Amino acid sequence: MSRTQSAAEEKTVHKDESSAPPPLLEVTDLSVEFRTSAGQVRAVDGLSYRVEAGRTLAIVGESGSGKSVSSLAVLGLLPDTATVTAGTARLDGVDLLALSRKEHRARCGDQVAMVFQDALAALNPVHTVGYQLTEALRARRGMSRADARKRAVELLDLVKVPNAKARVKEYPHEFSGGMRQRVMIASALSLDPAVLIADEPTTALDVTVQAQVLRLLAEIQAERQMGLVLITHDLGVVAGVADDVTVMYAGRAVEQAPVVPVYTAPAHPYTRALLRSIPSASGTGRLPVIPGRPPSPAAMPSGCPFHPRCDAVRGVCRTEVPPHAVPAEGRMSACHFADDILAGRDPAPDGSGNDRGDSGGDHG
Amino acid sequence: MAEPVLEVRDLVKHYPVRNGLLRRSVSAVKAVDGVSLTLDRGRTLGLVGESGSGKSTLARVLVGVEPPTSGQVLVDGEDVSRLSRAGRKQLRRDVQMVFQDPYTSLNPRMSVSEIVGEPFAIHGISPAGGRRAAVGELLELVGLDPDHAARYPHQFSGGQRQRVGIARALALRPKILVCDEPVSALDVSVQGQVINLLEDLQAELGLSYLFVAHDLGVVRHIAHDVAVMYLGRIVEQGAEAEVYDGAQHPYTQALLSAVPVPDPSVRLVATGGARVEPAGTTDPVTGAGATGSVGAIVLEGDPPSPVDPPSGCPFHTRCWLAPTLPEARTEPASAQPPADRPDLGLRQVPTVCETDVPALAPRSPGTSPGAAGGASHVVACHFARELVDPRVEV
Repeated sequence: MSRTQSAAEEKTVHKDESSAPPPLLEVTDLSVEFRTSAGQVRAVDGLSYRVEAGRTLAIVGESGSGKSVSSLAVLGLLPDTATVTAGTARLDGVDLLALSRKEHRARCGDQVAMVFQDALAALNPVHTVGYQLTEALRARRGMSRADARKRAVELLDLVKVPNAKARVKEYPHEFSGGMRQRVMIASALSLDPAVLIADEPTTALDVTVQAQVLRLLAEIQAERQMGLVLITHDLGVVAGVADDVTVMYAGRAVEQAPVVPVYTAPAHPYTRALLRSIPSASGTGRLPVIPGRPPSPAAMPSGCPFHPRCDAVRGVCRTEVPPHAVPAEGRMSACHFADDILAGRDPAPDGSGNDRGDSGGDHG
Repeated sequence: MAEPVLEVRDLVKHYPVRNGLLRRSVSAVKAVDGVSLTLDRGRTLGLVGESGSGKSTLARVLVGVEPPTSGQVLVDGEDVSRLSRAGRKQLRRDVQMVFQDPYTSLNPRMSVSEIVGEPFAIHGISPAGGRRAAVGELLELVGLDPDHAARYPHQFSGGQRQRVGIARALALRPKILVCDEPVSALDVSVQGQVINLLEDLQAELGLSYLFVAHDLGVVRHIAHDVAVMYLGRIVEQGAEAEVYDGAQHPYTQALLSAVPVPDPSVRLVATGGARVEPAGTTDPVTGAGATGSVGAIVLEGDPPSPVDPPSGCPFHTRCWLAPTLPEARTEPASAQPPADRPDLGLRQVPTVCETDVPALAPRSPGTSPGAAGGASHVVACHFARELVDPRVEV
């Protein structure tokens, strides 16, 4: 118990001295391109984020926003058609993206682990859960079969799978969706990673089970002081667990901030619209929606990529890519009118808006 | 107004479990175990429950994909099982389905115009103005560009694909649309678009919807009435406002409290180290009220197997309320947990929960304001009366 308590104290200390601790993982200016029949297509464009020990970063975005691709790039799991065209991903000060594939794997495997969305597809149906849990341990640590089995039971206990001793002998199909996701988490934890990346870990689950799995992740994170990255399309889901939020749109980060202000005073119209579109159990009537759909990376709109769907669009948005504005300390918003959105007012009509946007552009 | 277009009476759907050399039926998966529902014309009935609650099986029986084991399905007052061959064909036109996953429910090798026009071909109908024009109209109706009719499903986004699925379901001008988790595979930002489209279509075409989903937030926005299913049975049913604002069944309350709240001040895990769960906890109710002020109810474990549902109230093995009742404390502990499931622990619940199946009964009047339509709000819980506010701390 004391361990958890001191961990919690440490956490508040970190929060106060915002830039003091070195991040576990620091991604800077990451760009990823895919080779397609329509030519080179940019899926991630200049993304930066930091993952700190004992903190949870939520990366939020719609399908195709580049949120998953950016994590795959960090882990070196990109498909052959994709290349990292710019940027660094520093883990303990070493740029993973500059390493050879083999070195990348060696470094990453030990310290960064990933939990995938679809546990049924990610687990091998022909091996027992116990075998899959300890595959990494046996391969990397040279553990004996008996020790590995013992460790597998411990891991299942850790993720609160009831009756772990009997269940290590079972196959993935014998587990329910929620239990399978626990197995995935257990296997990701087997090498005691410093950073855990969970890609939509609860999207395929029932609401009741979703709450269980999120709570489990949050508990393990707090206990081990891991850095946790939660990738999701639903801002509602991560409100209770995230410390920091990065909202992605069309391959770019459009808003980055600590969790509370993102929800109470969003600084980007996209974040604002996403928040409104969450169907709540206390509201009735028509759901507010974001009109249209995310742009195809092959046909990016001019100016701000969000402008065709934005409810506060002005002239400058159609022509100028917005700079990374800092509307308040510790916050980033890629909007020409970040200050106005943050203050909860509509940007001034076009004439003056143009001037403001231009001056913002000079800073960027 | 209250004219039922669809009635379900005591519907049962069991799947036999066969075993041994002779493949004898040894037991049954009780997917749907005595469900009665009424869907009024032009209205939406939301059917809510976890995976395995039988809600999708019920939907499949209603559209005629699966025959019921027993019970009746009445469409426009006519018993479906007694229909002639021609009558059944007409029924299939009247009751259409929208599927959950727009990525697998559309044939990737058929163009959108072939997909949407296929119902015409199957039923041998030539719509006025020709099939091509009809497909164009349908696409326009669901907000798609008719010029894209020659495209293939992979060229569309998830939300657009779901619109194609809806256009296909609407082709034969059905009366009832059974929507099985139509938005759960979509991004939150797109879910609203599809829900609003369904509402518009209902107003325009006078459709009736059976809307199956596990997300209570989504259901509230579209449903007029809500039925909550657990292990093949309905545990609570009533008008939308009654069920959401005055939930009486502990399961409904747990489901409601599990809907994620977009409020960062409600932390899922206490950060102050105030509550540390002991390792190997055996108390299945520790989750209840654990987050402090808001008292989110987190159900432990998964629903039990429908092959061997618990005796008495099917929910008693996961119920967060039963062990807290005074009745549970005064009675002797029930039998030891089975050897293969020590995790079940020694939960004390009132004996009546273990022995008697609670019947769906009208909620007691006066437990909450606005209980005017009391008789239509029914709950299957022995202790339903004692629950007032799902958000109180336990």
